[in-house]
Amino acid sequence: MKYDYVEKAITVTRREFIGMLGIAAAMLWTGAFAVTDLVADRNKYIRMRTAGLYKDDEKQAVRQSHNNKSLMKMYETWAGKPMGHLAEELFHTRYYDRTVL
Amino acid sequence: MSKFAEDAVALRHALPSRLFHWCLVLGFIPAAITGVILFLRPLGPEGMHLAMQIHIVGAWILMIGSTLFFLLASDRVAAFWRDAFFSWKNDDIIWLAKGGGYPQKMLLNKEIDVPPMGKMNSGQKMMGILVFFGTLIIIASGAILYFALPLVPKAIAYYADKAHLIVGLFLTLCVFCGHIPLGIYNWAAFKSMFGDGTIRVKEAEHHNKLWVEEELKKIS
Repeated sequence: MKYDYVEKAITVTRREFIGMLGIAAAMLWTGAFAVTDLVADRNKYIRMRTAGLYKDDEKQAVRQSHNNKSLMKMYETWAGKPMGHLAEELFHTRYYDRTVL
Repeated sequence: MSKFAEDAVALRHALPSRLFHWCLVLGFIPAAITGVILFLRPLGPEGMHLAMQIHIVGAWILMIGSTLFFLLASDRVAAFWRDAFFSWKNDDIIWLAKGGGYPQKMLLNKEIDVPPMGKMNSGQKMMGILVFFGTLIIIASGAILYFALPLVPKAIAYYADKAHLIVGLFLTLCVFCGHIPLGIYNWAAFKSMFGDGTIRVKEAEHHNKLWVEEELKKIS
């Protein structure tokens, strides 16, 4: 490779350096802000959902299944007793390996 | 009357720049082509799988090449930033308004007067800014999709996917419809980038008058 001319050495003035730093900082800040904003939004929805579930729970007159009259009546009339053979057969699900279809 | 000898030669692209450009050729182009295939899904499962594998290899080349260039050739990065970001003048607006005289040159075979340009003309500056930010976005969003998809919130995964698609397609169009055809059209510049990095000063003087007059120095 043979040539007679090259570019002069790169010199960066203080003003240019601060400008480049400013652009880099603005890019990083914008990216970081967008990400933290999305994370904050996601956490906000999770907190709202949790609060909603607690509120629903507080509003319920009957909060435990063994105090639920209609449920206990269902067992008495046709499902035997809770955790019994018939109840297990009716209500419990089975595991099917669907990792390979 | 030019102060340069008829057969004077200048180094236009130093080795790190040429190597980085090869990384872009070997990384971006396969990733862009397979990216379009992954978007349009024209192939069967095996073809799509192969496209994804090529896409990932291209992305790795692009990511490693860009990182190394930034770390090891920071003077070239600074020069690029200065040329592309901080050198905009009224002449650039005039140059862009005239399309650099390329429509007349290519369609009518007619030369019109355009303002003299530095190492990068105004179109290359604009393309440089788009490619700089665009590549940053496709690398960052691609890294999220490849490394961290199960870990990030759904909204981030959604926006990373959309940004990767839109910016990737936009850059693909810019490169395949603008950069590559114009690069081949300017054959001296093409040979310089893919050859030994040199260009005849007389040829550079026509396209990059300010670069030749202000930036070049003779090797003693």
